Amino acid sequence: MSTVRGQSTVSVELSIPVQADLVVLARLTAATVAGRAGFGVEDIEDLRLAVEELCLSLVGTRRDGRLHLTYECEEDAITVDCWYEAGDHETRGRVGDAEDLSLRILDALVDEHGHDLAKGRPSAWLCKRRADPIG
Amino acid sequence: MDQSFHITDHEANGIPVVSASGEIDVATAPPLRDRLQATTASGKSTVVVDLLGVTFLDSTALGVLVGALKRCREAGGDLPLVITEPRILKVFEITGLTGVFPIYGSVDDAVRSVA
Repeated sequence: MSTVRGQSTVSVELSIPVQADLVVLARLTAATVAGRAGFGVEDIEDLRLAVEELCLSLVGTRRDGRLHLTYECEEDAITVDCWYEAGDHETRGRVGDAEDLSLRILDALVDEHGHDLAKGRPSAWLCKRRADPIG
Repeated sequence: MDQSFHITDHEANGIPVVSASGEIDVATAPPLRDRLQATTASGKSTVVVDLLGVTFLDSTALGVLVGALKRCREAGGDLPLVITEPRILKVFEITGLTGVFPIYGSVDDAVRSVA
């Protein structure tokens, strides 16, 4: 993990192996970045779940490879970019009900999100704006 | 990773009650799925799921509960949930599942509804 502090932007990078018990690190990092930026409890909880769903939407049934996440925090918004680096085994992402539930959750909890599930480098991103902007 | 996750079960008025606590996510949902499958496989078509102690729940957990609900209803039973935590209720609301599951504020109320 690396952190770069600029005048108003904080960038945190996280790379984790795709293991069920390690996805928690993605949401813990989201909560830490948002808390450090002064986001409210409700926003932090929304972001925690949204980041979990972002990861799940890429990982699906895959149990190998790595997830790479970048958290960019500006004054009133946090953007999370996530991409999946394939492992040795050909596996597939989420389908059906689970994917639908993830998308519904993301729609409700963040201001913007998107996916690019192109072969080779499936990626997804989200943007969560502070409910009560500074200034 | 989530050391606070626990599942317990007991019966109330002959109705099985499965209680989960802690965070239910992609890592901890499988034990919940297994417990619910074991309960329905033992011939119980209605199971009360107590989520009062749950602090986090993602779409994997929802998928487990939806799967269990389908099995219960196919067997002529139901899967009432017990939830009071607003954060957890919110996940059901935004996914439209409050209209799918019967949701109660206490285990007693849920058991009474199906006993």
